[in-house]
Amino acid sequence: MNMASALRELLRSGPGFGGASLMGLLFVAALYVLLAFPLDFGESQWSNPVIWVDNPKAVPPAWTNPLRQDARPLHRVFEGAEPHTVQTARSGPVHSWRFPFTYASSHPPTFLAVTLADVNYAERPPLVLISLKRPDGKQLRIYRHTVRGPREDENGPFLRYAETPLRVQLSTDEATVTAAQNFLAEEFDLRLDGAQIGGRVDRILFGVPAGSADDAFAPLAGEYEIIIQTALREEGDSVGKVRFVVGGGVFGLMGTDSLGRDLARGLLFGLPVALFIGVIAALMSTAIGTSLGITSGYLGGRADIAIQRFSDIVANVPVLPLLIFMLFIIGPSLWMIIVILVAFGWPGLTIQVRSMVLHMRTNQLIEAIQSLGASRRRVMFRHILPQITPYVLAQLIFAAPSAILAEAGLSFLGLGDPSIPTWGQILETGFRTGGIYVGYWWWIVPPGLCIVLTALTFMLLALGIEPIVNPRLRQPAS
Amino acid sequence: MSLLRPLLVRSLTMVGVFFVVLLLLVLTLGLTGFSDRILSATIGEQLRAERTALAETIRDPDEMEKVLEKRREELEIFYGLSTPWYYRLPRTALRVLTLDLGEARTLRSFDGSNRVFDIVTERVPNSMLLLTTSLIITATIGIIAGAYLATRQGSWLDRFVSGFAAVSFAVPTWWIGILLILILSIQLRILPSGGMYSTPPPTQPLPRFFDLVAHALLPVITLVLVSFGPSIYSIRTITLNIAQEDHVKIARAKGLPESRVRLRHILRVAAPPIVTGLMFGLAGSLSGSILVETVFNWQGMGRLYYDALAGTPDENVIVALTFIFTLMYVVIRIVLEALYVFLDPRVRYTD
Repeated sequence: MNMASALRELLRSGPGFGGASLMGLLFVAALYVLLAFPLDFGESQWSNPVIWVDNPKAVPPAWTNPLRQDARPLHRVFEGAEPHTVQTARSGPVHSWRFPFTYASSHPPTFLAVTLADVNYAERPPLVLISLKRPDGKQLRIYRHTVRGPREDENGPFLRYAETPLRVQLSTDEATVTAAQNFLAEEFDLRLDGAQIGGRVDRILFGVPAGSADDAFAPLAGEYEIIIQTALREEGDSVGKVRFVVGGGVFGLMGTDSLGRDLARGLLFGLPVALFIGVIAALMSTAIGTSLGITSGYLGGRADIAIQRFSDIVANVPVLPLLIFMLFIIGPSLWMIIVILVAFGWPGLTIQVRSMVLHMRTNQLIEAIQSLGASRRRVMFRHILPQITPYVLAQLIFAAPSAILAEAGLSFLGLGDPSIPTWGQILETGFRTGGIYVGYWWWIVPPGLCIVLTALTFMLLALGIEPIVNPRLRQPAS
Repeated sequence: MSLLRPLLVRSLTMVGVFFVVLLLLVLTLGLTGFSDRILSATIGEQLRAERTALAETIRDPDEMEKVLEKRREELEIFYGLSTPWYYRLPRTALRVLTLDLGEARTLRSFDGSNRVFDIVTERVPNSMLLLTTSLIITATIGIIAGAYLATRQGSWLDRFVSGFAAVSFAVPTWWIGILLILILSIQLRILPSGGMYSTPPPTQPLPRFFDLVAHALLPVITLVLVSFGPSIYSIRTITLNIAQEDHVKIARAKGLPESRVRLRHILRVAAPPIVTGLMFGLAGSLSGSILVETVFNWQGMGRLYYDALAGTPDENVIVALTFIFTLMYVVIRIVLEALYVFLDPRVRYTD
């Protein structure tokens, strides 16, 4: 049977078609990830808290909102480089940014944060003011900051917050708490002390006092506006970048973990890693298994006995405890996992290939070739190998899922390669930090589904290929 | 004598397995310098303890250093650090063979002992409880449904079970466990999410037993859920293969009633491979349970691995656990191989 007709037959069968199309999709997605993500994604981004600081922590995906009775607030990030308006006051130019947004949720934002970067000034430091304009027409200043002045031995122009931007979590900032306190006293004649306000700044800023209890607040929906003003002292002074984050109760396609990491990105990066583990481990163990099997079956004699006894032994080693042990001693690394999986993954195939070769050795074609004087190596690899290739191919695909599952299990025990995020590791963090006991399903379910989907794709493909390469299965069932 | 030879070959293979693992343990510990590091850490700890004791009597710092240095050399000889690992470790391995497993650093047994042997042995029954229970359930479902499916070959149910068995191989058991916790104990609050007993555990025997059952339910369901599909499928296939053999055709041709053919001529012949197949499953699930126990905080050997790995790793426990796991696996397998040889007459002629 030639390749084209085998392929046609594969695509005609149910599992074959499903497996092949899923595999195509997975490979396209993996290719996209390899192009779009840096290769050191694990170290440079995933394990780098700075990247995720402006994300809400442990919130579900955004698409869960329509399924809820009370929608959670969306995550909003406002960024500006060029100021929206430039005015000139007596003290100097005033740059301002205005970020209007509709707030319709009955929950307050999870946090408010502001970031300033690349501040340039010639002599005197600029002043930054942030105000919140509410739907009820009231406006309050929530933040005020004077950029750090020149040091004694420093000469202008001065550059501030260039390497490490200034980030302030307004929800817990003392000045903002005081601002909220004053706001309540002036506008609603409600006097609360700092302890009553602490931790609830967002609720107060995005709500109105409600009912009899002093500290009850009803959410206030409507049009809000964040106004950021920088009072500069000279022409040419500038604030390079402003960023204001209204923390959401939902985030992105897959939600975030307790460090605010975007799970969608972690899950995406896990795909090429899983495929890599599956394919490499399967390729290597199949190569070893096949060549030993052919050698054993074709050479016979002592070599055969030695190889068979050895593969019997290796086949019966309990792999998981040994994997745990070796990874613990040698240190977790992806390559180590693959090497150990390969080292114990070949014997099954060796035993099967040997018995196939034993049958083949006595057939007339091989005998004729031998009598023509072909070398043993030539017989083994030019005449025997091609005949068993289709079968080996099916076994290769069968071997991939077990490698993927093994890596996931090891990662789940905390033995995953720390520099490369995998699905098993995402699950492990969710489990170890207690995410499952508080019901963070978006952190637990998708990585497992990804593992199952990938393993299943290989399984389907193998199931589709098997009847084609194994003629015995092609007879209709009696 | 035809029984003895295959039995011997198989037992020797398992002994070979055991020594290969032991060799790997020794080589890994020695070549990586891990064993040396652990020993010098132990000596360092002991010296620190002795320094505080000596400070009472020796005032002079130089004198102190001298005494400690001498003591260090003594300790290095005592612990064998002064001899290279390839002399020391095989001896340690032999000591371990007599189940002298050393002491744990931080982990303790339930009654406070720090001997690794005590810690491990009190965990073994817990692991076995979980494994045998789920194996019995899986086997019962497998035999009943498998024998039934063999008579319905090619039906939609048959095809569904084959598909289900294939899917089972693609699903990580421990993830199913996590899902069940998420649904049944966090969302619906029907079953406890982990542990073996409630806190505080009931003191009366009967409530205590039911408490244990309630806690065992989720892990057992998890193990059964993932393994019953493949179990049904393999029993169905074994039964089918035998149903196609000549002696069955003859039995039918003789006009025996179908029920009799099935019981006496198919199931009876299929019994040995089914039974041994299921028991091989037991040996196999020994390591599969490591992860399930971890998920459910089941105080078996698997969870012990996790506890020994988490936080500050307890090296002695990890080494001893790997050893005990392999030992148990090998012993179970030798018993099974013997059973297999006795149960299945065909082995005597084919090996």
